[in-house]
Amino acid sequence: MTPQRAEWLAEVKRHRHFYLFVSPFFVLFAVFGLYPLLFSLFLSFTQWDGLTAMHWVGASNFAAMLDDEILWRSLWNTLIIGLLYVPPMMILAFLFAQILNTQWLKMRAFYRAAFFLPCVTPMVVIAIVFGLIFSAEKGVLNYLLGLAGVQSVPWLTSEEWSKVSVAILVMWRWTGYNMVLMLAGLQGIPVEYYEAAMVDGATAIQRMRAITMPMMRPTFLFCGLLSLLGTIFMFDEIFVLTSGGPGTSSTNFGMYLFNISFGDFRFGYASAVAYSVAVAVFAVSWLVSRLNRQGLEGA
Amino acid sequence: MHSRNVRTALGRGLAYAGLTLLAIIFIFPFYWLLISAFKTQAQIFTMPPQWAPHPVTAGNFVDLWRETNIPRAFLNSVIISAGNVALALFLCSLAGFAFAKYPRAPGNSKLLAFVLGTMMIPGAVTLIPSFLVMVKLGLINTYPAMIIPGSVGAFGIFWMRQYMGANVPDDLVAAARIDGCSEFGIYWRVAAPIATPALAALGIMQLIGSWNNLMWAFIVLRTRDMLTLPVVIYLLQGETRTPYGMLMAGGLLTTLPLALAFLFFQRHFIAGITAGAIKQ
Amino acid sequence: MKTLSPHPTFKWLCALCLGVAAISWLLRPRPETAPASSAVAVVPASQLHGNVTVWSWNIAAKSLQQLIPGFEKRHPNVHVAVDMTGARMTTRLMLSLASGVGAPDVSQFELSDAPRYIATGKLADLTPVAAKYRSMFPAYLWDNCMMDGKVYAIPWDMGPCAVFYKRSLFAKYGVDPQRIETWDDYIEAGRTILRKSKGQTKMLPLGSNALNWMFQMLIQQTGGQVFDGQGRIAISSPASRRALDIMRRLRAAGICSDVPVFSQEYLASINADTIASYPAAVWMAGTMRDTARDYGNGDITWGVFRLPAVERGGKRVANVGGSVLVIPAQCANKEAAWAFIEFALCTREGQLAQYRNFNLFPGFLPALQHPGVDDPDPFFGGQRAGGVFATDVTQISRLNMTPQWSAAMGYVDQDLSHWAATGMHNEGFFENVERKLAKRLGVPVAPGNAGPRARR
Repeated sequence: MTPQRAEWLAEVKRHRHFYLFVSPFFVLFAVFGLYPLLFSLFLSFTQWDGLTAMHWVGASNFAAMLDDEILWRSLWNTLIIGLLYVPPMMILAFLFAQILNTQWLKMRAFYRAAFFLPCVTPMVVIAIVFGLIFSAEKGVLNYLLGLAGVQSVPWLTSEEWSKVSVAILVMWRWTGYNMVLMLAGLQGIPVEYYEAAMVDGATAIQRMRAITMPMMRPTFLFCGLLSLLGTIFMFDEIFVLTSGGPGTSSTNFGMYLFNISFGDFRFGYASAVAYSVAVAVFAVSWLVSRLNRQGLEGA
Repeated sequence: MHSRNVRTALGRGLAYAGLTLLAIIFIFPFYWLLISAFKTQAQIFTMPPQWAPHPVTAGNFVDLWRETNIPRAFLNSVIISAGNVALALFLCSLAGFAFAKYPRAPGNSKLLAFVLGTMMIPGAVTLIPSFLVMVKLGLINTYPAMIIPGSVGAFGIFWMRQYMGANVPDDLVAAARIDGCSEFGIYWRVAAPIATPALAALGIMQLIGSWNNLMWAFIVLRTRDMLTLPVVIYLLQGETRTPYGMLMAGGLLTTLPLALAFLFFQRHFIAGITAGAIKQ
Repeated sequence: MKTLSPHPTFKWLCALCLGVAAISWLLRPRPETAPASSAVAVVPASQLHGNVTVWSWNIAAKSLQQLIPGFEKRHPNVHVAVDMTGARMTTRLMLSLASGVGAPDVSQFELSDAPRYIATGKLADLTPVAAKYRSMFPAYLWDNCMMDGKVYAIPWDMGPCAVFYKRSLFAKYGVDPQRIETWDDYIEAGRTILRKSKGQTKMLPLGSNALNWMFQMLIQQTGGQVFDGQGRIAISSPASRRALDIMRRLRAAGICSDVPVFSQEYLASINADTIASYPAAVWMAGTMRDTARDYGNGDITWGVFRLPAVERGGKRVANVGGSVLVIPAQCANKEAAWAFIEFALCTREGQLAQYRNFNLFPGFLPALQHPGVDDPDPFFGGQRAGGVFATDVTQISRLNMTPQWSAAMGYVDQDLSHWAATGMHNEGFFENVERKLAKRLGVPVAPGNAGPRARR
C-alpha cells in the first residue's frame, strides 16, 4: 500500500461519521432512484404489461414513438397549454410582486394570502370545484358571462376550449407561487441602485428598464423553466379536471404518460417514451441555461 | 407638484381596485367550495346559481360520514404526512450537516455534486419501476410506501447544507467536540437547534407535497382503509353519477388544515416556498 | 478527533447495524400472496363463512346491494359489502392484480373488457362450479367469459338498446313515436321538435364521449365489425361508413346536444325539457330512475320505442354494454365469493329482482323468459317496456371482442371526438383509423378490408 493510499484511508476512517450521515440518501437513492432509472432503461426495450410474460423487442418501442400520433398531439397540447398560461401568469405574477413590493400598500398580508392560497390547496379538490364553475349549462362562470351578454362557452365539453380551461386552472394555481419567487427576486435588488437612479432623475419607466428588468432576468428565466417543466409533467390538474378530454384535446405529456402506463399498462413503451422525452427536456433546459449564461456574459 | 400627487393617488387607487378585483377572483373558488359543501346536489346545479346556500344543509357531511371512512382517511393523511415530514427533516438535515461541517472528508464535494445531479431526474421516468420496487419489497398498500421514497431529496440536503454552513459556527462545533460531545450529538444538540428556521421552511414544503399527493397515493394505496384524503375525494367521482355535495364537503375537510395553517403561519410558508425555489 | 473514545464508535456501529437490518427487512423475500390454487372448489353452503367485498359501479352496485339481505338469509355466516368504486376502476383493479394486493373478492367488468382481464391470468378459474350454468346464458355472452375452454367470468346483464323518450314533449310537439322507423324519420322528428320548441329542445345527446357508443350501436345495425372473427382489424368497411354517415347527418341536422354522457348537465337534462329522447341501452333506465330524485321534480313520464333502423324493414336492435362478475385469483375466500355470484346471477330470483329495481336486463335465460319481465311499468307510463327491449334480442349481431377491444375503442373514441371537432370529414376516416389501430395494437388488417360478416 502506498503511503498516499494509507493516508487517504486513514482520512476516510477519521471522517466515517460523514459517510454514515450522508448514507441514508445514497441507500434510498439506490433503491428508489438509481435502480428504477436503470430498470426503466431496460424496460424500454421490452414489451410488458406487468402481469404476463415480458418480451424483448429491441428498439421497436423507440421506432413506434415516431408515428404515435397521440404522443405528438400530447406534446403539441403541452406547448399550447404552456403558451396559453405562462405569459399571462408571468406578467400577472410580476405585477403582483411589484405592487406588493411597494412601501405604500396597505393590507399587504391579505393580498399576499389571497394570491398565494391556491398553492397550498390540494389540486384534486380545486380541480373539481373548477369543474363545477366551468360547467357549460349549470356553471357560475357561464352564468356571469351570460349576464354580460356573452354566449355560453363549452369550457370542458369542446375540443377547442378544453385547453383554455386547463390553462385558467393552472394559472390560478401557480400565479401566487411565481409571485413569491419574483418578490424574492425584487427584494434582492440593492436599494442603492434605485436611489442612485433617482438622483440621476430617471423616471419610473427608465428605472424599470435599466435596473429591474436586467436584474430580474435570472428570476424570469427560472420561473419560465420551472413552468415549462411543470407543464410537461403536470398531472393532477388535468387528471381531475378533464382527464385529458374531450378526445385527446387536453392531454398533456404527463397525462399521456399516465394513460399508457397505468391505463393501457404498456410498461415497456411507456418507459421508452418517458426516457426519450426526459432526455429531450434535459437537453433543452441545458441549452437554455447555457445560452442565457452566454447572453449575460455578452451583456 | 399638485398634478403629480393626483396622478400618484390615481395610480394607487387603480392598483388597489385591480388588486382587490383579482384577489376576489382568486378567492372565489374557495368561496364556491365552502358554500357548495352546504348545498344539496339540486341546489348546486340550480340556475341562476345560489350565492349562499339556502337553506343550509349539513347533509353532505352526514353522507360523507356514512358512506366513506373519512376519519380513517384523515388519520392516514396525518400519519403519512407527519412521517414523511419527520423523516425528511431528520435525514436531510443530518446529511446537510455532514456536507457542511466535514469539508475535508474525502469526496465531500464530489458526493454533493452527485446529490445535486439527482435533481435532474424527472419522477416521470422512475414511476413505473418505483411501483415495481414497491411490489417487490411487499410495501404496496403500506405507510412506508408513502413515507420513504420522497423523504430524502437532493434539494432538502442542499438547503440544509447551505443554511448550516452559513449559520452554525465552526468554533461552536469544535468546542462541542472538545467537551466530549459525540459527532451525532453535535448535530443533534448544536447544529439542528440553530437550523430551526430552515427546518421549518423545509418541513412546510414537504408537508404541502405530502398532504396533497394524489398520483403516487393512487398507485400504491390499494385498499379503502389505507387511502389518504385526496384519493378518497378523487374516488368519489363516480363513473356515472358524481355526488358533488359530498365531494365538496370532503374537499373542504381536505383543504382546511393546510389553508388554516397557512393563514396562521403565512410568513413561514412563504419562506418555505421561496426556499424550495432557490435551487437553481 | 483521534482521541475518540470507544463509546461513540460503538454507537456508530449500532447505527450501521440498524441501517443494514432495516434494508434487509425491506428486501426480505416475501411469500406469494395469492393462494396456491386459483380454481374455485365446490363447498357445501353450510361451511361458508367470512366477508366478501364486491367492486361494482353505480346502478349495478345498488342493485347488488339490494340482494344482500336475501343472500345473507341463505348464508348467515357470509357478509357481503358492495364498494361503489368510482373513478378509474380499470386502472385500480389492474394495479391490484399486478401488485397482488387489494383486489376485491368479486368484481364487476364490462362484458367487453372481460377478455382483457382474463388474458392477465389473474382471475380465478370458475369452470368447476360454473359448468352447470353453461346452457342457461346465451352462447354469445360466454364468448367473452372464456379462454382456452375455461370459464373465468359469469355473464350478468345485457344491454339491448331502444329509444327512451319524454311522452309530454313528443305530444306537445305533435310527434308520433310509433311512426319513427328509420334514422331518417328520427332526424325529421328531431327537426320538428327543434323548430317547434324554438331551439329549446334537442332530440338527443351526442357529445364527444357518446359518439363511440352510437358508433357501436349503428354498426350492429349496418353489419359492421371492428375486429373480424380471427381478431384482425376490419373497421374500414362500407358498413362503418354507413354508420358514420348517419352520425354525421344526426349532428349536421343540429338536433344533437353536446352535453357529455353522465355529466351533471346530462343527468339534469333527464329531468328537464332540453333533450327529448335518449337512444340507449336498457340499463340507462336505472340511471334515469335514480337521478330523478337529485334533479328537481322528475315528474316526466317516459316512453320507449324501438331503435330506428338504417333502412325501412332493417334491424331495429343493438346491444351496448352488459357486465360480468369475476373472482380475482388473489381472493382468499373464493367459495363464499362464488356463492354470492351464483345467488346474484344464476338464480331467477336474483336476476328478476335486479331487473325490477334497476332495469338490469337479465342475461340468465330462465329469468329473461319469465313473464314478469314484460309487466307494465309505471315508470314508462304503464308501457310494457320490457317487451320492447326483449324483441328480437336473439337477432342482435354480435361484435367480435378481443383482449384489445377496449384499447381499440379508446382510439376510436379519440378519433371520433376529433372528427366531430374538426368538421366531420368522413372521407378517408376509417382508412386512417384502421392504419392506426393496426400499428398501435400490433394486429394485422383483415384481408379484403372488411370482416366476413360485413360482406353480404
